[in-house]
Amino acid sequence: MPVHLKQARCLLHNLNTHSQINPMTTETAYEIQHSPAYAALTLQLQANQTVLVESGAMAAMDSHIKMKSKVQGGLMKGLGRMLGGESLFVSEFTAEGRPGELLISPGVPGDIRHYHFEGNNGLMVQSSGFVAASPTVTIDSKFQGFKGFFSGESLFLLKVTGYGDFWFSSFGAIIEIPVAGDYVVDTGYIVAFEDTLNYKVEMLGGLSFKGLRTGIFGGEGFVCRFSGTGRLWIQSRQLYPFVNFIHPFRPVKSS
Amino acid sequence: MKVDILHQPESAIAKIDMAPQEELTAEAGAMVSMSGHMNVNTTLRKGKGGGVFGGLKRMLAGESLFLSVFRSGEQPAEIYLAPKLMGDILPYQIDQHELVIQSTGYLASTPGVDLDLGFQGLKSVFSGESIFWLTASGSGLVLLSAFGGIYEIKVDGEYIVDTGHIVAFEKTLSFSITKAGSSWVGAFLGGEGLVCRFQGQGRLFCQTHNPGAFGRLIGSKLPPR
Repeated sequence: MPVHLKQARCLLHNLNTHSQINPMTTETAYEIQHSPAYAALTLQLQANQTVLVESGAMAAMDSHIKMKSKVQGGLMKGLGRMLGGESLFVSEFTAEGRPGELLISPGVPGDIRHYHFEGNNGLMVQSSGFVAASPTVTIDSKFQGFKGFFSGESLFLLKVTGYGDFWFSSFGAIIEIPVAGDYVVDTGYIVAFEDTLNYKVEMLGGLSFKGLRTGIFGGEGFVCRFSGTGRLWIQSRQLYPFVNFIHPFRPVKSS
Repeated sequence: MKVDILHQPESAIAKIDMAPQEELTAEAGAMVSMSGHMNVNTTLRKGKGGGVFGGLKRMLAGESLFLSVFRSGEQPAEIYLAPKLMGDILPYQIDQHELVIQSTGYLASTPGVDLDLGFQGLKSVFSGESIFWLTASGSGLVLLSAFGGIYEIKVDGEYIVDTGHIVAFEKTLSFSITKAGSSWVGAFLGGEGLVCRFQGQGRLFCQTHNPGAFGRLIGSKLPPR
């Protein structure tokens, strides 16, 4: 093999390595439109840039963008998530050869926010909140260990770390709350929070209807109590109460 | 107390900043988030009279309301409140006029407002749907919530509204339930069901969308329960 070709390959290798070590310099150009009720995300990918997108959320794209289905973190991890009641299937989109545009719409109408990772920060995101991310971002699911019996609510959180861009979504509008000290959120309204915050799930007696022994309404009063300093994002609506509203309108099974 | 309504109209959420020793009553389940030191107490509010069995009967008929009372205590506090369905929130100042509110249209109120459950006038019309009516009196602020946008009509004389679109109205208005068209068959088969005919002078608050119509549209397309 001619020496100069070997050197060129070596150079190419170095370039690749470099781009992986220092990916935060390539922040993705993006735009969020139609907030807060019908937010959609448009990404302007550079040539050969890859992004991870929530499976099924691609709405439109340039024809040279190539898609590849993928389970984040390998098959076994994906399976574990499925058994936990949540699956995180993602698709990989790559703009092959030249820049391209990718339009992403979350399954539920609501809002989208962007968060940038620089290796030293982490974000906890409600499990259905993932929209899109740089491939250098690491997503790990983490079960928070309780499930409401009546409403079907559960608090599964994704722990997101690494480098690069991340977008998350909600049902309803997203409100950012700078927490400093003691703050309480109904578990169903959590969208995301920085991992500098401490949190614990508890039942707030004063909020519970269960203590009133009525049973039929099933208000749990489960809240997440935060302490410390960090940013928290909440949503203005919850999906499950909406589903519960529709439920009585279903036809009754004739025996 | 300072009330801000954010993200109107479809994703409306109320942010309320409370001074020390202030109090706020809200529909239980409306709390989204709040300061950690806020004191909360939830009770079941029943319609008046009827003893234990009367209360039970009303509970089953849906004529009861869980209300949470939030108290700020020694320090200022903040709280976010949101309704269940997509739609707007409207602050209404009560002073001399009593306000009749459709039960799902009530979100919160300040301590000077008295709530009375089980306003009977409209009850028979809504059998089958767990809708009942509250009467708010006294003085203070009431937060109303709607499915869709809220619009106000200053009634002077006569006005007709589909029953599914009423959020609240001042009690200075008298009303009667009637059919929209001239025939009773058409009233039920034609989809334009019952309407409320208001008379007199007063403010009326309507919602742009009818939750029952929306529920039936989606529900009928789902598998049987």
